[in-house]
Amino acid sequence: MYDLELNRVVKEIQDNQAKLVCLQLPDGLKPKANEIEARINSETSAKVLIWLGSNFGACDIPLGLDRLGVDLVISWGHNKFRKEEW
Amino acid sequence: MVKTIFIEARYEGKVELCQDTLEYAKKYKKIGLYAAIQFCNKLDRVNEQLKELGIEVITSQPKRTGCSSQLLGCDSAKDSLNLDEEVDAFLYIGDGKFHPQALVYGQEREIICDDPIGKKFSLLTKEDLAANLKRAKGALVKFHSSDNIGVVITMKPGQEFYLKSLELEKKYPTKKFYYFIDNNISFNQLENFPFIDVWVNTACPRIGLDDQESFRKGVVNLRNVIS
Repeated sequence: MYDLELNRVVKEIQDNQAKLVCLQLPDGLKPKANEIEARINSETSAKVLIWLGSNFGACDIPLGLDRLGVDLVISWGHNKFRKEEW
Repeated sequence: MVKTIFIEARYEGKVELCQDTLEYAKKYKKIGLYAAIQFCNKLDRVNEQLKELGIEVITSQPKRTGCSSQLLGCDSAKDSLNLDEEVDAFLYIGDGKFHPQALVYGQEREIICDDPIGKKFSLLTKEDLAANLKRAKGALVKFHSSDNIGVVITMKPGQEFYLKSLELEKKYPTKKFYYFIDNNISFNQLENFPFIDVWVNTACPRIGLDDQESFRKGVVNLRNVIS
């Protein structure tokens, strides 16, 4: 029903030579996490972490992942957020 | 910050207004059209349907969004939409309530919702969110009469306004401000600071509206107390 763009996801992981990838999904797409993980596992050598917490928007990206060595976050359901400066 | 790639998860089905929506909308002459990002690139048919009814359709690119017609949950202030013209009503295309509720908070017009997946029509009005709006008003009055204020700051980069919040001290020199930091607000922790009279939310503006009940002492959004 929604285009998860898995071909692009695989390509981004390969192009970025990512070894540890974090998937962030909105609640409605969280049940698809296993499907996405399987595709990444079959086509790349990256290890996948699935973000358990919230995904309220592009303003709500997981923090502190660099401590674990995560080198790419893939976040579904949103586009780039333009923070309002005031 | 780790490199982040956004996948919009565009809807792959057909997007068109259901009969109930068309029936209801035809009483209006000029409608403001917005949608969740999943539907933004599929609004041609909707535009066409409205035009067939003689309705003028206008839209805009709201302040924080990435494309025209896109609506975010934080577009809850009057000026968020970047829309210069007045409309008779707003029409939202999407399958949830969080985004169109932003229009209810920020705009003075009726919000018509059309869910293209469930093919459902619904309406949102100020009455639906009256309790939150009333509490927000009460919290603002309380803020102005309180001495000890708790300022809640998030570390999420998109919602972090720590430096801006320091302006509170200049604007309200007789009040004492205490600064609290968290990622997602732990509402049950608020009770552990009984010396706070009222809270200021500096994170997502929807917290200061939707979560009024969780802040037992009341909460105001930063934007409502400094400009």
